[in-house]
Amino acid sequence: MTTITLPASPRRPDWLPALLLLPALLVVATLFVYPLACSLLYAFRDEKLGVWGWGNFLRAWDLYARDIYFTFGVVLLSTALIGVLAIAIAGYLTLGENRRAVAVLRWLYRWPLFIPVVVAGQMMRTFLAKNGLMNNALMALDLIEPLQAISFLDWRGLVFTFVWKQLPFATLLLAGAMAALDRSMIEAARNLGAGRLRVLWQILMPQLRPTLLVSLILSFVAILSVLSVPMMINAGSPTMITVDMAWRVASYSDYGVANALGFISCAMCGLAAWFYLRQGLREGGRP
Amino acid sequence: MSFGAARFSASPRAASRSAASPLAVSSFAAAALRNALIVLLALCIFGPLTNLLLWTVTEAWYFPAKLPVSWGFSYWTRVFRPEAGAMLALGNSVLIALSTVALSTLVAIPAGYALAQRGLPLRSLFLLLFLLPQAFPAIAVHLNIARIFYGFGLNGTITGVVLVHALQGLVFSVWITSAAFAAVGSEPIEAARNLGASPLRAFCDVSLPLASPGIIASAIFVFLISIDEFSGTFFVGAPEISTLPLQLYSAATEGNYQIASITALLLLLPSILFMFVVERFLRADVLAKIGT
Amino acid sequence: MKLERSILGLAVGAALSVYATVSQADTVLTVISGGSQNMVDYVTDYLGPIFEKQNPGVKVKAIGVGPDDAGSQKIVEKLQAQKNAGKNEWDVDVIVPNQQKTGEMVKAGLLMKYRHAIPTGKFAVSPASKMALGVNVDDYVMPMFQSQTAIAYNPTLVKNPPASFDELRQWVAKNPKAFGYNGLKGGMSGVAFVVGWMYAYGGSPDTVQQGPYAAAHEAGWDKAMAELKQFNQQVTFTPGNAGTLDMLNRGEIAMGPVWVDMFYTWKAEGRLPPNMKLKLIAPGMPGQPYYYAIPSKAKNVELAKKFIALATSPQVQANGIVKRFNWYPGIDPNAVKSELSGKDWNELFTDVTPADLAKYAKPFPLAPYFTDLRERYEAKVQD
Repeated sequence: MTTITLPASPRRPDWLPALLLLPALLVVATLFVYPLACSLLYAFRDEKLGVWGWGNFLRAWDLYARDIYFTFGVVLLSTALIGVLAIAIAGYLTLGENRRAVAVLRWLYRWPLFIPVVVAGQMMRTFLAKNGLMNNALMALDLIEPLQAISFLDWRGLVFTFVWKQLPFATLLLAGAMAALDRSMIEAARNLGAGRLRVLWQILMPQLRPTLLVSLILSFVAILSVLSVPMMINAGSPTMITVDMAWRVASYSDYGVANALGFISCAMCGLAAWFYLRQGLREGGRP
Repeated sequence: MSFGAARFSASPRAASRSAASPLAVSSFAAAALRNALIVLLALCIFGPLTNLLLWTVTEAWYFPAKLPVSWGFSYWTRVFRPEAGAMLALGNSVLIALSTVALSTLVAIPAGYALAQRGLPLRSLFLLLFLLPQAFPAIAVHLNIARIFYGFGLNGTITGVVLVHALQGLVFSVWITSAAFAAVGSEPIEAARNLGASPLRAFCDVSLPLASPGIIASAIFVFLISIDEFSGTFFVGAPEISTLPLQLYSAATEGNYQIASITALLLLLPSILFMFVVERFLRADVLAKIGT
Repeated sequence: MKLERSILGLAVGAALSVYATVSQADTVLTVISGGSQNMVDYVTDYLGPIFEKQNPGVKVKAIGVGPDDAGSQKIVEKLQAQKNAGKNEWDVDVIVPNQQKTGEMVKAGLLMKYRHAIPTGKFAVSPASKMALGVNVDDYVMPMFQSQTAIAYNPTLVKNPPASFDELRQWVAKNPKAFGYNGLKGGMSGVAFVVGWMYAYGGSPDTVQQGPYAAAHEAGWDKAMAELKQFNQQVTFTPGNAGTLDMLNRGEIAMGPVWVDMFYTWKAEGRLPPNMKLKLIAPGMPGQPYYYAIPSKAKNVELAKKFIALATSPQVQANGIVKRFNWYPGIDPNAVKSELSGKDWNELFTDVTPADLAKYAKPFPLAPYFTDLRERYEAKVQD
């Protein structure tokens, strides 16, 4: 892993890197940092009364406490499943011995990566419904009776859709990192008789912890941000707080409670980021 | 994607294992399990896709029929009738996506180049800063951007939507181009410099072409992110700007599965097309450097 | 690289060509409509082409903002933003908002009085033409249609449909998860059901509908909400107006509240089995009009007035509103009835007779009561 070290040149001014970075920094500052700061700040402002305080948070909790728990649970569960499955698939891609199976798996797993989230939402809405294709196929195979068919359009449908959509990305990062590792260590371990599972767990994973954490945290945040999927799949209550935020703004122009909910989801992300930074500091200050 | 396949060599252990009989049975069971799991994964991935394709050619699908009751393409005419605005939404989506790619790449190339240099002060902080938009729920940002844009008259305009999309894409742009430039390494640049090229010339003639596969890969990702983007367009663009994801969403909530599925198929096409194309540009060494 | 370049070129070419065909030098009449997609389709497929034929050189552009308060709120925000920016000509000519938001817009001074200036103004005779949930909107609006909610049911699964809310509760207790509605979010049919429930069990229904507004009249709401919360345990939630109809179609639910017009339209399009039926249950379920209105600084005022006059003419109301889209007319029904054959007119009243309507068709609550009701539901029933 290298970066460029350019030969020092008297013709290259010191302010050049700053100038190169400036446009990108400007974009992030104006289109992200400023609105985010507005959001976090205005979470404390009651717009009807024109005062600062905790009012918005109290109302948000009063109305949507169940949704907040629900959101946290769904996102945590989805991320955990993604982690487990990504390790399994990336592990097989690296250590698998059947060349055809590895090739098939490699071709297969990345498909959801290229399918837009809205499309995934629409597909799952029809696939997982009580009379959707999944139940129909199971009924056709006589695995279940029509009366037993249930709709999965609740937290299970959400988790399934999120895992379905985010898994390839996490697997991509992990598999890429695994492939860049030195094979000689793996070969040596195998020659000494270590099983593949042991190689995966004791040799590969420790080196891949940073990549695993990055992929899990990105997945965590991505799932927490999705608006379209819960709107399309999860009809009633409880639902994810992104839907509640959109609802408050769209129906009542209630930016106060919407921002309070945004603050709460930022706090959830902050928790995830804290894990990452803790890990990074342990590794020696490299974020 | 050629992760490791080329460097993998069949070891003699496998051959010796299959010769012993209890191990042969267990490896047969293991193989069966592996095949079953792969098939299950394939069903999970392609089942919903098949469902989508079925709905695009459905005329009517009542309960308790397991397959559509009548087939036909009449909903295609309905989607593509000029008043429906599907073509306009498609045009909007593509135009916005291309503009987003242009803006993101233009801004990300110098930033990525600067970040690829080890000696850059506060390098880790900058990398983290560019990760930040991915670290917070975008919806909180989007609903406030919409309010801010109202004041500037940017709400409901293509420019406004492009700006929002460009932010989403910037993260991927900067990180991937930075990794791409880093993967180029310093030797080619040093060589060019030693031959007398100016820094700008070395950049344009050496760094840029060598890093271009990674840059093109990031451009493709940004394109897909923009075409796919929903919540930002929902707050900033609707109702004047109609994009395919918004059309898909309103068709889905209206309960018209045929129209929703046809719109979804339209949205799928560029993505799948790029899936076959991007493979060439994402190499293992570039991917491994993302995040370092 | 060649493949990618050609793909890129194709994409750019496609995008630009779409724009080339769309941008024209005609006068554009911008119509923004709330409500479900069928209301936008009404302008795009029916009203717009007729108007364009009568007025060459004019193009009608219809934009949909979605159902319920959320959709009409977008109209309010748009007009308010332009007013705050001090613009002299606003970019919207005709709006079609719901009652709640129309009232808010009249109070905020965003609409213009026009009904006296159009020839069809004399046909606006219903109480809804003058009052919108307690706000005086006389001369600001023409009703587009009158709609009604009712309970749709599948006769093969429901042999004896309930005739009142009490009977409905008993039926649902015996058949859990077979009744579905969309709660408060995603469509007004669910909202209508909740309102009907409150009229039945919350006390003082007449005061809630007509005023005056006083907190004392909400005394019985907590108990009714608690019962609704229990009731909700036994229902299936649907994604919205269309979601309920869709789940009825797919047999996932056997009964649910629907808009009568959407019900008939879906049946006509083959999206609902032909044997489905409607029942308007006692003590009543609400219905609402949507209004045609003109923003106070609209650009094409005369064209807008012509458009609304066309939309509320007896012929268009007869053939468009009633016959094609299955709404009850917004203007004087007698004027419309004479334009239709007896058969077409009676199809409107197949399951829900005029007698039923007279007894059980109710308006939505007064605006402040309505807001309180929604807030209480979110606080008490949903969580």
